[in-house]
Amino acid sequence: MTTAQELKEKKQTYYDDIAVGHQFSPLVIGPLTPTHLFRWSAAIENWHRIHYDQSFAIYHEGLPNILGQGSWKQSILPRYLKDICLPDGWPWKVSFQHRAMIVPGDTLTVWAAVTKKYEEEGLGFLDLDVGMRLQYDTETCPGKATIVLPIRKGKAIPYPFVPPKKLVSR
Amino acid sequence: MSQSPSSGESALTPAVKGVIGVQAERIEASFQWGIEREGLRIFTQAIMDPDPRYWDDNFAKTTKFGGIITPPIYCTYIGRRTRPGDDDPVTRAFAENPHSDGIGGIRTGEGKGKLPLVPTHLKRILNAGNEIELRQYPKLGDRIFSQAKYADIKERVGKDGSRMLIVTTETIYTNQNDEVLCILRASQIRR
Repeated sequence: MTTAQELKEKKQTYYDDIAVGHQFSPLVIGPLTPTHLFRWSAAIENWHRIHYDQSFAIYHEGLPNILGQGSWKQSILPRYLKDICLPDGWPWKVSFQHRAMIVPGDTLTVWAAVTKKYEEEGLGFLDLDVGMRLQYDTETCPGKATIVLPIRKGKAIPYPFVPPKKLVSR
Repeated sequence: MSQSPSSGESALTPAVKGVIGVQAERIEASFQWGIEREGLRIFTQAIMDPDPRYWDDNFAKTTKFGGIITPPIYCTYIGRRTRPGDDDPVTRAFAENPHSDGIGGIRTGEGKGKLPLVPTHLKRILNAGNEIELRQYPKLGDRIFSQAKYADIKERVGKDGSRMLIVTTETIYTNQNDEVLCILRASQIRR
């Protein structure tokens, strides 16, 4: 896990220094416990019992255990991309699907690999494959992302971020 | 014998097509006091993100954001909380159904800011994936507004010939200055 101090002192990764195929350092989370799952349910007031009531999950819903929340997973991916982009890049967008279930005891490895790089309006864009792999290598949240990293001696990435018109699909 | 509800005629009926583009009412997702520290602390600890940009004022002032920010998609969750003064939805749900799954009876899918139901006989709902687009981090004190619409509905035919709908909703989150913070596109399979 990343510490507060590491995030405070993080050095900028530049667009110039990243090649297609580059794999960013993964974020490993886990093993997850029922308490982690319950904490998330309480934080967002998601009272679906399959996430914290083990007897309900197993005996009523026929599940192998209580389940990790898709909403938690979809909060972790943007957090990971944010960390990659700090301090001055921008985690523009991420899309993903929910696949394999996660249950207590699982450890997740959040990852990203560069599939394409291109410049637009003087900004450096990286397309990524992203995901969250379980400890037995099953992918539980495959997706795509686009981030923007500063170009050395290039212009600052605007904040609030305004995507180049050419890259806006709708 | 029950007929498969998804075989035969197209599920993409004129009534279903009619909801494409329909927008819900724009509502305030945050409480009237806006984004506050304690809710932010609870949320960031639940995603195990110790980033000092969420809690260290002195450091946050030195960043390009100029102050405390929230995680990228925090604003998409704050509208799900029970508002002060509302009837307790948990007590109500279990009073109505002691075997409630914790979802039924708590969120009805109706109400302020909600989209009308898709007029289809396809009742089973599966998550088909989401896209999150970020423009700006919410800040402490920001008031968050949201507006949802049906962005698209497509029909797909499964391997077994059954018909299903892919329903994509788009929710735009803005702050008190009407600046876009985040756009959430969520797709559901209805079958």
